Amino acid sequence: MEIFNPQQIKLTKYLFYTGKGGVGKTSAACATAVTLADSGKKVLLISTDPASNLQDVFNTDLTNKGVPIKDVPNLVVANLDPIKAAAEYRESVIAPYRGKLPDAVLDNMEEQLSGSCTVEIAAFNEFSNFITDDQTQIDYDHIIFDTAPTGHTLRMLQLPSAWSNFISESTHGASCLGQLSGLESKKEIYKKAVETLANGKLTTLVLVSRPEAAPLKEAERASGELAEIGVKNQTMILNGLLASYDDSISESLYHKQQRALADMPQDLRNLVTYAVPLRAYNITGIDNVRALLTKDNYVLRDEKIHAQAIPQLKEVIDDLYNTHKKVIFTMGKGGVGKTTIGAAIARGLAVKGKKVHLTTTDPAAHLKFVIDETSGITLSHIDEQAELKKYQEEVLAKARATLSEEDIAYIEEDLRSPCTQEIAVFRAFAQIVEKAEDQIVVIDTAPTGHTLLLLDSTQSYHKEIQRSQGDIPESVKKLLPRLRNAEETEVIIVTLAEATPVYEALRLEEDLKRAGIGTKWWVINSSMYRRGTTNLLLSAKASNEIEWINRVDQHAKGNFAVIAWSADEVKGDKLLAL
Amino acid sequence: MKKMQIFEPAMCCSTGLCGVGVDTELLRISTVINSLKKNGINIDRFNLTNAPMEFVNNKAVNDLLQTKGVAELPAAVIEGEIVITGRYPSYEDFAQLLDIPLSFLGEKDETFNILSKSSNCGCSDGSC
Repeated sequence: MEIFNPQQIKLTKYLFYTGKGGVGKTSAACATAVTLADSGKKVLLISTDPASNLQDVFNTDLTNKGVPIKDVPNLVVANLDPIKAAAEYRESVIAPYRGKLPDAVLDNMEEQLSGSCTVEIAAFNEFSNFITDDQTQIDYDHIIFDTAPTGHTLRMLQLPSAWSNFISESTHGASCLGQLSGLESKKEIYKKAVETLANGKLTTLVLVSRPEAAPLKEAERASGELAEIGVKNQTMILNGLLASYDDSISESLYHKQQRALADMPQDLRNLVTYAVPLRAYNITGIDNVRALLTKDNYVLRDEKIHAQAIPQLKEVIDDLYNTHKKVIFTMGKGGVGKTTIGAAIARGLAVKGKKVHLTTTDPAAHLKFVIDETSGITLSHIDEQAELKKYQEEVLAKARATLSEEDIAYIEEDLRSPCTQEIAVFRAFAQIVEKAEDQIVVIDTAPTGHTLLLLDSTQSYHKEIQRSQGDIPESVKKLLPRLRNAEETEVIIVTLAEATPVYEALRLEEDLKRAGIGTKWWVINSSMYRRGTTNLLLSAKASNEIEWINRVDQHAKGNFAVIAWSADEVKGDKLLAL
Repeated sequence: MKKMQIFEPAMCCSTGLCGVGVDTELLRISTVINSLKKNGINIDRFNLTNAPMEFVNNKAVNDLLQTKGVAELPAAVIEGEIVITGRYPSYEDFAQLLDIPLSFLGEKDETFNILSKSSNCGCSDGSC
């Protein structure tokens, strides 16, 4: 397999890097951007992940408009933060009325402009602007998007078509767009966005994956779904490929990768595929970004672990059991193993005789690959399409009781607005948390960005509930108070012993704190240090972990556990051994 | 014909479907106004989020907000004069204030449904 080298490949103007969390989208996108910029091209790099890490990689504070990078003259980097975009949008709506309307009235406006719908549209408008703006197209040779993990990104890339269709089919001026006045005038922009995405001369979808089963499966799904909306110019990067082995650990990693490649889904085999070798170092700082595609440096660091004894997951489960927790979340960056840890906790509590419901809010997660509905455990997941349908039917049933058929057709139209999906998913989330009335609910969440947006809408809906005339389900009313109750709810932060997942987790913890939700335990997953190896590359990698294990230990005041890297997929009864 | 305007609090959309719960009152008002429109009567709806300027320009409404606050919304205005505050007009209010028959309001009523179907055939593309 050819090593990925952006200088030797003819690249289109727009490049989208997508894939499962933790596969190295950001690393690959940054390396591409820096390599192209170093060769004299003008490059704009944009993260669309609400939990972006670009500021860590470039060690620079970023905005959603773009900031030039000091050490890379031709590179401008932007973080498209949906919550910030929504705040700017809100301010632009409200500012002209300050002093002209009473403050209480402005507060009312502000509150209403805080829903998940506003957040989604505001971010999506900025995204559409980046891919359609003529000046941006002239100013840059390449515009590179480092996207959020698959589930979130599929939705974003499908939205231009969804809104275009909705606006053109709407007969009564799409009242659901009301809050974003003039959105109809954006129709042309959405149409152009759809065209740009589907134009293979302008746009390439770069599917990033690890040579492992789960990320390859997710890449296949993204490839198929995006081809459906016309994004057919696709290529693949396999990141973290191990070229050789010399001890049992490196051998098992090597074979794990080779097996995954041998079983690669058929649709992916037809793509032109490049490799990026496994590196010992964390991809942060310009030097490491520049090195990613060209060289490794095996530096063994001689730091020591501070903790006397490193706790295991068993101790976390015992604590959850002894403190009678009812709602348990696993949260963290994509690809750190939230699903596995969530399943292991569910299994551990079930073995202790608890009735446990395990669920996921990640549209891309598959619990059934990890765990069966064994005694004491039930499984579910939020199916976005099914939830949308359920919500639509519920509203229509209510409407049919009082309204004529013609009027119902009018309401049906509003229900087709892409916004409705957000509310439907949110309600499903509230219903799941409500199951904690009579059992323990373990919730495996989507990667951070998606989860932050869910929390943001939980808070804004909570405010809305307090004054709404609407018919509000009990589950929704109780949601935030329950999440804030530390006696009932526990968030387990899951990370790897690496820079990026730890930084992301620290920011996540801050956001949770702001929302009034506390955390206690940190779980470090897939530790090569804990496994132990003599392979040069892997032991350099293991020695790089020590700094991060110590940092988590100190930050969590000893409330942490470390799980060793495993060559086998951890599922079924193996979950009990973590 | 008298001109009615309804000034509403800030909301996500006029049918309330993207709110946190379904507000049947908003569904009712949206469809009534739609029915009136089909009968040639246009009622302007202004909600704080998408038409705040109207709340600045309309003196009566602006005074209402300044003196009594946002809880007075929704407010119905006829010919510049506030006639209802704190709630939406009922079917009877509409009929009375606009001086129109109740059947214009599209109230659920078997006879009216049949009538309305014969006048516009009930299909969206008009190809029947």
